[in-house]
Amino acid sequence: MRVLIVEDEPRLAENIARSLRESAGYAVDVATDGQEGSFLAESNTYDVVLLDLMLPEMDGMQILTRIRQAGQHTPVLVLTARDEKESIVDLLNAGADDYLTKPFDLGELLARTKALIRRGKGQPSPVVTIGDLQLNTANRTVQRAGRTILLTAMEYRVLEYLAHRPGAVVSKTELLEHLYDYNWEKFSNVIEVYISGLRRKLDDGSDRQLIHTVRGQGYILQD
Amino acid sequence: MLRSKSIKGRLIATVVISQALLAAGLLFAGVFYTHRRLVAALDAGLQARAMSVAALVRYTEDASGNLYFDDSLVPRSLDPDHPDFFEVWAERSGLLTRSPNWPAGMEIPAGPDHHWNLTLGNVPYRVSRVSHVPVLDREEGQFFQPQALTIVYASPLIRVQEQTWAAGVFIAVASLILLGATVLLSLYGIRRGLLPLQRLAAQAALVSARNWELPMPAEAEQTTELRPLTDSMIAMLERLERSFVQQREFMGNAAHELKTPVAVLKSTLQSLLHRPRNSEEYRAGVQESLEDLERLERLLQWMLRLARAEQWAHGALRRDLELIDITATCEEAVERIRGLAQSRHTSIHLATNGKVLLRADPEDLQLVWLNLLENAVRYSPEGGVVEVAVTRKDGGPAQIIFQDHGIGIRPEDLPHVFERFYRGDPSRTRATGGFGLGLAIAKALVEAYGGTITAENAPTRGTRVTVELPLNGSN
Repeated sequence: MRVLIVEDEPRLAENIARSLRESAGYAVDVATDGQEGSFLAESNTYDVVLLDLMLPEMDGMQILTRIRQAGQHTPVLVLTARDEKESIVDLLNAGADDYLTKPFDLGELLARTKALIRRGKGQPSPVVTIGDLQLNTANRTVQRAGRTILLTAMEYRVLEYLAHRPGAVVSKTELLEHLYDYNWEKFSNVIEVYISGLRRKLDDGSDRQLIHTVRGQGYILQD
Repeated sequence: MLRSKSIKGRLIATVVISQALLAAGLLFAGVFYTHRRLVAALDAGLQARAMSVAALVRYTEDASGNLYFDDSLVPRSLDPDHPDFFEVWAERSGLLTRSPNWPAGMEIPAGPDHHWNLTLGNVPYRVSRVSHVPVLDREEGQFFQPQALTIVYASPLIRVQEQTWAAGVFIAVASLILLGATVLLSLYGIRRGLLPLQRLAAQAALVSARNWELPMPAEAEQTTELRPLTDSMIAMLERLERSFVQQREFMGNAAHELKTPVAVLKSTLQSLLHRPRNSEEYRAGVQESLEDLERLERLLQWMLRLARAEQWAHGALRRDLELIDITATCEEAVERIRGLAQSRHTSIHLATNGKVLLRADPEDLQLVWLNLLENAVRYSPEGGVVEVAVTRKDGGPAQIIFQDHGIGIRPEDLPHVFERFYRGDPSRTRATGGFGLGLAIAKALVEAYGGTITAENAPTRGTRVTVELPLNGSN
């Protein structure tokens, strides 16, 4: 998963980014002013955007409006220091999906971010089931037919992304875009390595393959 | 304890007291006048009776000229319980007769004609003396000198007193009835008169922090006496609302400013605890937290300074202040900022023209100068010059000008630079460490001394801040 943080307080942005990387394994991009934030949000596809409201150059509300006007469905979680009802109502009406008032709890921010990603991909439950494969996104465990499978961090992230789009063809570029931050291009060869590692671990002791290759298009996770 | 006072009660009391005084005066005058008239009438009656008694005096049949009193025709007394009494004196013959009930031992000394009062055994009498009354009886061919008579006639005053009393009672009862009617009428009038006030109070009770509208009842606006009240209420509400909105904005801004460093601090500590770290990471995290705390502390200091400055804005001129030299405070402030200036290779030029004396707290003035100097230095380019000039217009205010040659203020920011927490470009000022409070504090302090502060972009380049402080009474 790839997350954009737009926050002008560099230290706060850095703390959020670090905790998203460490505990959820997400790829994180940080923008410290509105212009940069707006540019990144429009030129990349993120799985969730964390947006501060008071920003130099362009405020959070404007960015939100622009994202929605461009027809992007990316879930947006607004970080605000104000908790007046009016501004929250305005935010939600402008297309925000959720909000947190500062100072917030990093654990709560993480949980809300995960929930927004799930719902953004039509997955209301944190446990994704495909055939006999069970993926728990809350504690990042994978089981197949009751047997726990140990994955590396990158293998898990690939599987998680595929599991959130079951039955759909996911291209290599899409995977790269969502698993790495802005300099993903230099990782372009590693996806095959993770996919083959995943196949080996998942299909061990089972006669049915779960990850299929669609030649020239990408990968698909289905029973 | 404070007694509550009622306008209605006071008006009623005033009406009742004035009416009662009027009634008492009327009663007194009425009784006095009635009594006078009745006594005068009685006096006339006494004279008439004295005349009829005089008519009973006759000459004896001989030619001696002696007189006698024919008591067979004495007029009957008006009041049988307290009969009249009289005596008749003749010029030469002396006492001619006395009525049988003439009080024993009572002698009336001779004197001119008049009327007077007399009390006999608790019964008041009116006495009348009539002299030089000729004897009506005349003999034909009289050769002696005719005698004149003096008659003293007394009649009881009881009836007069009774009538006076009756008149008094009549006036008193009539006055009481009129008084009652007046009270009722004035109660009605006062209640109607106070109605607009009650309407106004009911409307005023609806005003709250959420709703500052006070729809003035038409009656209240049309009432001349309430005009000053309604006008000042409207003005007061406007002032209140303005300061309330300002206060709320300040609270919102302060909350925002405080929450951001707290959020940073909290996230740093939480991410530090998120998983085991090595001591180097812990050390870095604690270091960061400390820096955030220091920033928070500085912000709190600035906010307290602002609060103090604004508090003084209301009471500064009431404090006992000594005459101080504005130039000296400027010199001191320049000295104190020199460290910062040197670190940015900025030089400060101070142009003064002798002492300028003002009654002020030197700390206040220095705080103003320091804030302005700090801004000027921060926005000056590396190696720039900040110019400070202290001048005194003839008879006018002291003028202190701060001029830098930096980036200036964006025109859209100019009207707002003195607002609390206003930062034209948050990223820039945050980088320079400001909170957007320095100019607000300077403004509050300058205004506390009745002065003005303005900011403008210099025609060449940079910002010019002008402070004017009135010196009236100081020199």
